[in-house]
Amino acid sequence: MTAKSSPRPLNCWEYLECAHGPDSPDPCPATSDEHSNGINRGINGGRSCWGVVGVLSGAEILAPCALKESCPTCGFLHLVKSEEEASFQLLKLARGVDNAEELQQTITKVESFMAIHERLRSHFDLDQTISEITEEARKVTGAQRASVLFIKGKPAALHGRFGLRGKKREVEIALDETTAAGSAAINNHIVNLRDIYDQDDVGGASPFSREYDSQFECRTQSFLAAPICDPADRVIGVITLANAKKCFFSSDDQWFVEKYAVEVYLAVEKQKFIQQSISTLRLATIDETVAGLSHCIKNIAQALRTGSHIIKRALRSNNIQDIKAAWDILDRHIERLADLSMVVLDYDPIVREQTGEPSLNHLAEHVANLFKEEARARSIELTLEKGEDVDPAWLDMMDIYRCVVNLVSNALEACPLSDGSVHLSTSRSGENELCISVSDNGHGIGDLTNVTTPELFQSSKLRQGAGLGLPTIAAIVAKHNGRMEVDSSLGRGTTFRVYFSENTSRP
Amino acid sequence: MPKAKIMVVEDDLDEAKLIKMVLEGEGYEAVCMFNGREALEKLGAEKPSLIVLDVMMPEMDGFSFCAKVKASPEHKDIPVILLTGVAKHIHDSRFPLNGVIRADADEYLEKPVQPEDLLKTIERLLQ
Repeated sequence: MTAKSSPRPLNCWEYLECAHGPDSPDPCPATSDEHSNGINRGINGGRSCWGVVGVLSGAEILAPCALKESCPTCGFLHLVKSEEEASFQLLKLARGVDNAEELQQTITKVESFMAIHERLRSHFDLDQTISEITEEARKVTGAQRASVLFIKGKPAALHGRFGLRGKKREVEIALDETTAAGSAAINNHIVNLRDIYDQDDVGGASPFSREYDSQFECRTQSFLAAPICDPADRVIGVITLANAKKCFFSSDDQWFVEKYAVEVYLAVEKQKFIQQSISTLRLATIDETVAGLSHCIKNIAQALRTGSHIIKRALRSNNIQDIKAAWDILDRHIERLADLSMVVLDYDPIVREQTGEPSLNHLAEHVANLFKEEARARSIELTLEKGEDVDPAWLDMMDIYRCVVNLVSNALEACPLSDGSVHLSTSRSGENELCISVSDNGHGIGDLTNVTTPELFQSSKLRQGAGLGLPTIAAIVAKHNGRMEVDSSLGRGTTFRVYFSENTSRP
Repeated sequence: MPKAKIMVVEDDLDEAKLIKMVLEGEGYEAVCMFNGREALEKLGAEKPSLIVLDVMMPEMDGFSFCAKVKASPEHKDIPVILLTGVAKHIHDSRFPLNGVIRADADEYLEKPVQPEDLLKTIERLLQ
């Protein structure tokens, strides 16, 4: 028997054990909303409370749950959804909306909001998440600009990025009442400039009109700022909307921006959780890893010391046979050392735990970030160019990651002591083929151009010139039936391009 | 005529070969075994004057091998040099390994050991 056929499904006030039930002195609007009666088999709005609580229709009384929770994260909504299955109704045509078109718009906005909530659950990059939230908030509210600003620095100020004339710019806004964003942050309430202008109604002229602006001695602006709070109600930032249209943001827009503020907070918390998890994971495995590494390194060092001893002795006695035998072993251990260093770099939980559709651009960005500090310390300009039609990339991401790490590491090594530059880029080179390119302006590796991999890496001379890790790259390229091109000229730099065919067996 | 026969017990072929070359370069005869079990089986036949022993090996590790050698009336007098990554720790405490095995080697050298130090230790133990 399914839950749907149970005699009387729970209403929100029963499920949440709400103090604002129908028999309470201060009942929630959901308990008396007759227009919603029967939706999802609820009593009045008892099983469609997310559309009843008043916020969408502009009512002033809010149920406590609406003040504290984001409806899409509320367990009750998901319970009703699962119980009603295909009969589930998100919203009812009613409450303050008597126009079918307007209703449809509202439904679309709510569904869009719920969709982004689901989508964000699979994100683990804060910048990407914030960017998606602001873009959705902008679209849903019809704003010209949307931004998220966080409180940080000493003295504390709001920091974030504004899109101005097509470019993103870093901004810093003082934490005071001179701006709507600052006011929203320090007073912990939503600021809608509509309220300011409405209070100063000048001579019957409408806001945004020339007469109004002229009497008010400033241009009417439409701006909305909502605080982003943690569960203890401490403000951590502000989400802002600016409207170019000559109208103010509506109550619905306010409702949405508050919900988006909650999403931002959740994204921040998620990022913290991910970072903590990574730290914990690293700490938990560090003992084992260090022990393993230590053993491995000691064995390599032992071989290097003993081999060196034999070669020195053989040189004195001109014993070519011993020199050759020892050198072959030393050579192998140098490669083991190089491989070991790459294994250490490979240890990256973010890449290992990536879920969802594989993204080559995300991987490239991650590698660029990995080497950002090293590049900065050596005054090397490390740039990344992400191909537009690259993702999803159906590749073995761990192998590709090793490959890109090796390429970028080599390129950094090859850079000159001053004015070094390394450029990493991704692109789609064929219907099922992707290309990763890494260029440097280093010393170059001679006149080798457009050489295929297997032959290339048999040359120890080249290896010496191009840094360690190339055998690893060659092995990965070969494993994936890929190919590699190398353009290089002495003193001008080198470009490695590796091409990988995507897996044909996709999920 | 070689100075003495030394058994090198080491699972890493490269390392075994290098140590063998070092020893042979100094006039010793060297035989290589690649794990403790194999070494134990060949001990009676090979009759080495000294054993250079790695710790981490498959099938039978160096500690177990060393314990068996020292428990054997026939082989207990063969000097054993243990090459280990935890030599200092063993020197400090002589801790019972795995709660059962006690490392009873005659000398402990910590990897990566200098070949000269290994040779000096061998000479001293063979005197």
